[in-house]
Amino acid sequence: MDLQTAINIPWKRLLRLALERGGSYADLFFEQTIYHDITLRDGQVNTAGTHTDSGLGIRVLTGDQTGYAFTESVAARDMERAAHTAAFIADSSNPAPQSIRLQTIKTKNLYPVTDHWNDISPERKIPFLQEMNDLVFGADKRVKKVIARLSDTTTFIRFYNSEGTGFTDLRPMASLSVSCIMEAGGKTETASCSRSFRMGGEFLQHSLIEELAAEVVARTAFQFSAVQPKGGEMPVVMAAGGSGILLHEAIGHAFEADFIRKSISIFSGRLGTRVCAPGINIIDDGTIPFNRGSINIDDEGTPGQKTYMVTDGILTSFLHDRISAVQFGVPATGNGRRESFRFMPLPRMRATYMENGPSTEESLIASIKKGLYVDTFSNGQVQIGAGDFTFYVKSGYLIEKGKLTRPVKDVNIIGNGPAALADIKGVANNFIMDNGTWTCGKEQSCPVSCGMPTVLVGSLTVGGRA
Amino acid sequence: MSTPFTLKDMAQYALTSALRKGVEQVRVTAMQDVSDSFTVRNDKLEKLYQAGESSLFIHLFADGRYGTCSTNRPEEKEIDRLLDTAIASTRLLAADPYRALPPAEKCYNGLIRSGGCLPSDPLSVEAKKKTAFECAAGVWGTDPSLVHVTADYSDSRSCLYIIDSQDLYCFSADTYYSLSAECAVNGPHNTRPSDWYVKGGIAPDAIGIGESAHSDCARLALERALAKRAPGKIPSGYYNMVVENRVASTLLAPVIQAMSGSALQQGSSFLLNMLGKQIAASHFTLKDEPHLPNEPGRRYFDSEGLATKPRTIIENGILNLYFLSTYFAGKMQMTPTIEGPSVLQLEGCEKDLHSLIQKAGKGVLVTGFNGGNCNGTTGDFSYGIEGFLFENGDILRPLNEMIISGNMKDLWLRFLSAADDALHYSAWQIPSLLFENIAFAGL
Repeated sequence: MDLQTAINIPWKRLLRLALERGGSYADLFFEQTIYHDITLRDGQVNTAGTHTDSGLGIRVLTGDQTGYAFTESVAARDMERAAHTAAFIADSSNPAPQSIRLQTIKTKNLYPVTDHWNDISPERKIPFLQEMNDLVFGADKRVKKVIARLSDTTTFIRFYNSEGTGFTDLRPMASLSVSCIMEAGGKTETASCSRSFRMGGEFLQHSLIEELAAEVVARTAFQFSAVQPKGGEMPVVMAAGGSGILLHEAIGHAFEADFIRKSISIFSGRLGTRVCAPGINIIDDGTIPFNRGSINIDDEGTPGQKTYMVTDGILTSFLHDRISAVQFGVPATGNGRRESFRFMPLPRMRATYMENGPSTEESLIASIKKGLYVDTFSNGQVQIGAGDFTFYVKSGYLIEKGKLTRPVKDVNIIGNGPAALADIKGVANNFIMDNGTWTCGKEQSCPVSCGMPTVLVGSLTVGGRA
Repeated sequence: MSTPFTLKDMAQYALTSALRKGVEQVRVTAMQDVSDSFTVRNDKLEKLYQAGESSLFIHLFADGRYGTCSTNRPEEKEIDRLLDTAIASTRLLAADPYRALPPAEKCYNGLIRSGGCLPSDPLSVEAKKKTAFECAAGVWGTDPSLVHVTADYSDSRSCLYIIDSQDLYCFSADTYYSLSAECAVNGPHNTRPSDWYVKGGIAPDAIGIGESAHSDCARLALERALAKRAPGKIPSGYYNMVVENRVASTLLAPVIQAMSGSALQQGSSFLLNMLGKQIAASHFTLKDEPHLPNEPGRRYFDSEGLATKPRTIIENGILNLYFLSTYFAGKMQMTPTIEGPSVLQLEGCEKDLHSLIQKAGKGVLVTGFNGGNCNGTTGDFSYGIEGFLFENGDILRPLNEMIISGNMKDLWLRFLSAADDALHYSAWQIPSLLFENIAFAGL
């Protein structure tokens, strides 16, 4: 399915077919993605890929029930078959609309591109990866291997729904990751880091290469002196930046309104109540220019927006898609997102972060007699109903008598969402957005980001030697 | 398929076209997959989902260089456009002498070269929907604590072609059926503990189609969720650990990853230089049985066409095999083996989970992992767990918010025993496992 097909699609006919069994709402989601990747391994840029993927997803709603089918084919009969299939979720006598007037939504473009990836040859990308390799090897004699990978996607979307809403969006995404392996004293250590933005070729900057090279060398070298600490309950100071994973796992998922409307979330029924100390504001934001989690408009026609989930310590909004917004009688918050045309949209986070507080990082560390300071992470998880969340710490330090002491690595931290949120003892004034390649895996993969100022949580369970 | 192409035609056209455009070697993988899913929440159909997709993935070896391209548009014009772009890009790369098709003598040599299509669907839409409804109905309304039950029926039918310019010809067709249930119940402090149960296999009878057994899924999920209410922690310390069969593969995954050529060649594997050496307890033996009939994961070839065969991966604790594709084997000056395991089997000698618990005496039964990771270079790991404290063979109380940590090399030396209870709904058939003295962090 190409762009011209998407533009010429008989959308009114398909929407009528989708609603032929009495569905209350239907939408069509056309998508074409062009994806490139190029990899440096063992000192040379020696692998490249070019990939295309396109199709049409058709969704029919009746109340909170969803019928979904997709086709990769451009043939009219295949698109009609998908519409018929999705229609089967409904079985009522509601008449299909006879006419739908199209109103195209225009929004501010949060990710304008002038230098399109489809016009950029590998010839222009190769020197950046080679420079990365040279910088990493030049920075430390212990470096033995470097893998660097640059990927870009350009996704064109065209959307129509039975309410007459239509939009077009062009979503770029660029990601650069590097991993480094060092050997010294009979030990081997590895670390990696990445950056990702909704950008075109403007992403390719020497300053970005220098920043990532320095970061991966420092992270890898750190590993030689770090150990797994002694485990148990202790206060944890979460450094500014990637610690935003705490918000994503401990809070964000439990605020996604599909879990709320099904009464699965531990935060169900807590809207308007205090969930943490006054002064704390937690936001899910789709409007940060060029941010990995940003969206001009979500995948069901709601403009991207900034949503205060917690305002001055009070739970003020859940993250809604169309289904939950209708059920709760509130406006959708622009969180209806999907991995691709193969998937139905769900409430998903975008860029999730906490605003600055009044403390300093130094004062938060100084207030701890014995605890842990953590600053880089790899992955996390949450159990929505029980509220138990975890995140995996790649590096940090023990805190002893108010000072950072022994480097630590490779420990899982576990806590309970509502308890941890209520147990935030201090928030510093040093907010950082982490621009790594964060990807949320709730049923589907979605690009997100997170950020936070340094935060002190009174008690979490830290993995480690017994 | 709406185009005049069949899957086989697609693959053959791409191969011929790539060679015509000057590529020396090429491999083409073509895949087609059709799937259905019906989800019932409580007593109402929540979702129906139908998918039909195909893809073409092309590996290009041009002027000693390597590139790939793929598309889901099986049309001559699209394939040619894609090949032109990808071949031009590939020629800009550095030469890589280790990129090549696999040695022909190590490849699958199937005799049947004709035909091949998607397996037929033996079930009607109504039968699928009914299965999901009956599953949910097994518990809905039976327990006042039940917040919700979600029952999901899903199936897939797929076929795969791999051909290359060395006259490789591989075809396989697969089916998979699964039925799962998840139940959430009211717990103390506004919690909604939940748990799941799943059945699956390559034929509909694996999920009890045509029997009343499929309602067991929801009942077992509910029982598990109810048992998890009011969990707590125990003091940090070293405990014997029993890991239940349905999650035991989590602990084996880092070991399998450490045997892979991609990690070994980069030196980022904790099993580097361990071939022929002790990496697990002497009573630990792990086999790959790719040709077992009727098992998910069975196959005669891997993704580059290397022929599979039964292998003992770890024998009496000794590492026998690295998973080496042609590329990484070449770089390591070794012989290609296979890219990864197909049907992993670990034989257990204890009767069942209860026997393992009795053997352990006192310890922690791990029934689920909650996050965590393993450093593939050093083997250090740390995983969140949930489960139960047990003593003298009796389950005492549920546990949560606890973490196990250690090093993989040490963990598998602490392996004591396995039960004969491997589940057959997945390719990794790992039974319940018993380890001694594992570090738990809790209170």
